[in-house]
Amino acid sequence: MTAVADTSAALGHEIDRSGDPLIRVEGVWKIFGRHADRVMGTPDADLPRAELREKHGCVAAVRNVSFEVWPREVFVVMGLSGSGKSTLVRTLIRLIEPTAGRIEIAGKDVTAASQTELRDLRRHTSSMVFQHFGLLAHRRVVDNVAFGLEIQGVSKAERLERAGKILRLVGLEDSGNQFPDQLSGGMQQRVGLARAFAVDPAVMLYDEPFSALDPLIRRDMQDEVIRLQHDTGKTMVFITHDLPEALRLGDRIAIMRDGAIVQLGTPEELVGSPADEYVENFVRDIPRSHVLTLRWIMREARPGEADGPRLDVRTTVRNAIPVIVASERAICAVEGDVVVGVVDREAVLTAIAGES
Amino acid sequence: MAVAQAAGTLAASAPRPWWRGRQGAVLAVAVGIVIAFFGWKSQVPWPASLTWNSLSHDLDNFQAWLSNNRNVPHPSVFFRAFNGIATFLDDLVGWLTSFFFKLTWAGTTVLGTLIVLRFGGRRAALGVLTAFLLFATMGLWDPVVRTFALTFASVSLSLLIGQPLGILAGRSDRFQRLVTPVLDAMQIVPAFAYLMPIVILFSVGPGAAVATTLIYAIPPAIRITSLGIRGVPTNTVEAAEALGATRVQTLVKVQLPLARRMLLLSVNQTILFALSMVVIAGLIGGEGLGSVVTSGLYSDPAQALLAGAAIVVMAIALDRATEAMAIRTDPAQRHLTEGKRRTLRLYTAACAAAVGLAVGLGYAFGAGSVWSRWTASDWLLARIQRVLDYVQSPTTFIFHITSPVGNFLVQYGLSPLRSFFVETPWPAMAFGLGVIAFLLSGLRPAVTTLVMLAVIGLSNEWVNAMDTLSQVLVATVFTLLVGIPLGVWAAESTRARKTMRPVLDILQTLPQLVYIIPFIYLMPVSLVPGVLASVLYAAPVVIRLVEAGVREVSSHPVEAADSFGATRLQTLLKVKIPLARDAIMLGVNQGIIMVLAVVVIAGLVGSGALGYDVAQGLQQSLFGQGVLASVAILALGITLDRITQGRRRKRIELT
Repeated sequence: MTAVADTSAALGHEIDRSGDPLIRVEGVWKIFGRHADRVMGTPDADLPRAELREKHGCVAAVRNVSFEVWPREVFVVMGLSGSGKSTLVRTLIRLIEPTAGRIEIAGKDVTAASQTELRDLRRHTSSMVFQHFGLLAHRRVVDNVAFGLEIQGVSKAERLERAGKILRLVGLEDSGNQFPDQLSGGMQQRVGLARAFAVDPAVMLYDEPFSALDPLIRRDMQDEVIRLQHDTGKTMVFITHDLPEALRLGDRIAIMRDGAIVQLGTPEELVGSPADEYVENFVRDIPRSHVLTLRWIMREARPGEADGPRLDVRTTVRNAIPVIVASERAICAVEGDVVVGVVDREAVLTAIAGES
Repeated sequence: MAVAQAAGTLAASAPRPWWRGRQGAVLAVAVGIVIAFFGWKSQVPWPASLTWNSLSHDLDNFQAWLSNNRNVPHPSVFFRAFNGIATFLDDLVGWLTSFFFKLTWAGTTVLGTLIVLRFGGRRAALGVLTAFLLFATMGLWDPVVRTFALTFASVSLSLLIGQPLGILAGRSDRFQRLVTPVLDAMQIVPAFAYLMPIVILFSVGPGAAVATTLIYAIPPAIRITSLGIRGVPTNTVEAAEALGATRVQTLVKVQLPLARRMLLLSVNQTILFALSMVVIAGLIGGEGLGSVVTSGLYSDPAQALLAGAAIVVMAIALDRATEAMAIRTDPAQRHLTEGKRRTLRLYTAACAAAVGLAVGLGYAFGAGSVWSRWTASDWLLARIQRVLDYVQSPTTFIFHITSPVGNFLVQYGLSPLRSFFVETPWPAMAFGLGVIAFLLSGLRPAVTTLVMLAVIGLSNEWVNAMDTLSQVLVATVFTLLVGIPLGVWAAESTRARKTMRPVLDILQTLPQLVYIIPFIYLMPVSLVPGVLASVLYAAPVVIRLVEAGVREVSSHPVEAADSFGATRLQTLLKVKIPLARDAIMLGVNQGIIMVLAVVVIAGLVGSGALGYDVAQGLQQSLFGQGVLASVAILALGITLDRITQGRRRKRIELT
């Protein structure tokens, strides 16, 4: 029973699918170029990139993308550079105007919003963290963190107090009076995180926030995001080109290629059954036992098997190995208190063997 | 087999020999013009039927009509508005001048020094104090204060107009596209060309001087400001927008503070541009050092040189002071804490008190508005005069160098080239230049060239323009012969660059006319001073552009060449210079435009041609003729720019 408690702590947050999704994206397009509207809606829009560019001189950065993000979910968009992922996240709050499609955040139609409504949404509902931090070099760290509140017109005393609290949250309580150029890259991005958190948004948008950082610091920052996510329960849309990062953070992952989503699913769905060769090439080097959970490899319980050691069905294969090694019997995968399937040694070995 | 085939296609696509390419075509056109010159020398001048002869007279009448209507007791609204602007500019300069005089010399000195001390640090303040001491020593306090007031007024107005427009251009692509061609055109026009229209509109006086300076100094202010706003990282602007900032909030809280360095650079550059116009402004009623230079040009050259030196001192002091203040007040670098802020506020208060005290003491001891107790001006003037006499005396060895060089230049360079340009049948010259423009730069520049040449002919300035063109050509050849090798050398050797830098800095802060004065005495042959001065004026810019171009060649191909064992010379000739071609062509283009600016000014001192007509127009109120010559200068400037602009603009737009 102790094993179950351990894994569920590591698994962290619960996604809330009881009500409506927090973000709803329907058929969003972004075509750059002067004749974007002429291409939109014609069969030409589906042409491969090079041909579209040749024929109309415009570039389709995002093509017909739809998805939903639920409250408290971490939704990762993954793709190589030029796949349109950064454009996509900018269209969500119309930093880049989408050419077509509909976006809804927290029940508000973003695509139809007036400038005032849009500003209101950006001030109170969403927040964004950028790849190159986008800090203000002429202001102290604490003023950078308070910037969003300053934009909203919060009084100076109040916003500095709030900024101080947030700085403590990200472990920078001693750096408030320093200037951005006195901090390391990792610390600067912590300031970026703090600035986004300071306005207490419902939705956090991350645009490749850690791509510019060293691998070791990147790992620290990922842990930081997981921790903050756990503590605050924000909904996140996270853009990355790094598959391990996507698998580590994402509840669900959308893989983009040439502006379109080629597969959308949980990490184990991507690793366990890639939709096409492109995704397969991506996930080939990922150790399956690190991603696949018991749910993926379990079979139905035969009579008499229900009394083996119990593990949460969301435990990864890797974490189940010590238990199965120590036990003579097959493991029972449980969801709550109900046994939903069993996993025997053979299943675990097959899963690991599939990694080669 | 496959290899043999590939070799065959390679051989077939080998580059054409150069004489079948563009260079060959240009050479063929040039040869054609030369043949036309020898065949029909002086036989086909610009026909009288193609000139608008009454234009000059009409313009004179227009000017008379303007001044008549302007000076009546109750002028119409239009004239009242214009008079209002002129009076306002006059008054502004007058008010500033009397303000500095009221502070007394002591107060002015302490004010200037302490402002720089507070915001720019000790070194810069020491520089400013030294400048004040030099002005006092030179005995030029009065004209210096007047010049400073003129500059201050011009710079403030330039920034007041230029920076908002620059911000607009920085934030709106449409506005940027709209102003860019206007700014480009304004940069081509030599300052000398818009004196005439300004004088007609504003009549002579400080107001006209300010207006001229504004035209000259606003374009760089707009350009640099726009560049600064555009240089703010998109990320940071996006971050502000993502947090819901309004357009005004983004501008005030993000774009302006982050563009601070460039905004202050635009202040610095505007000051230098304004100062370089001071002398020309002296021609049309700008009081101060400029008028000392222009009036001393013929009667008291030593005094003119001394005043020129004072302008240089002022330029260097202001340049260094504003640069130091820009750096020292940068919050992104200073990292001020609350405590330090409080100390600084006290410091400011102390400085203000010190200025008040200095003014009070000044009045108590009757300091007077101008320092005049002790100056070394007589001694300095005598020295300068002696040097001038020495240089001019036919018995000294310098004369044996300068005189033959000057004569050689005239005999084998300027004079034959002048006759070539002036006496070649005009159709051959005009269409030859048009075809060359087409070959070098494309169809549109070629059409522009033809239109501009037609304008020159129509305004009855063909001969003068060709005369000026010949001088420009000689000077440009020298400029490139000096500038390109020095630029390459500076790019290759750090030591060379470090040695050249201060010299180039000083040369670039000198007003155009100040270059010419020494040469008038050094090279007492007409035409030569203008040519040499223009070389000196244009070469620094060519050196800088070539140096930057060669140095900015990406290190990868250079490394690759090194790895194949290329010698330094091989790397230079086969990799760096070809890759820096665009920058070098830009250098040629800029150089030729700058040469033109000085060559026309040299019309004041005996170079004749277009510049002489403008000078006469200014000095003897031959307005029509002056305006036509100005138009011809403008047309010639555009022609030269279009012929040499090459295809680079297109390429730069693409990247």
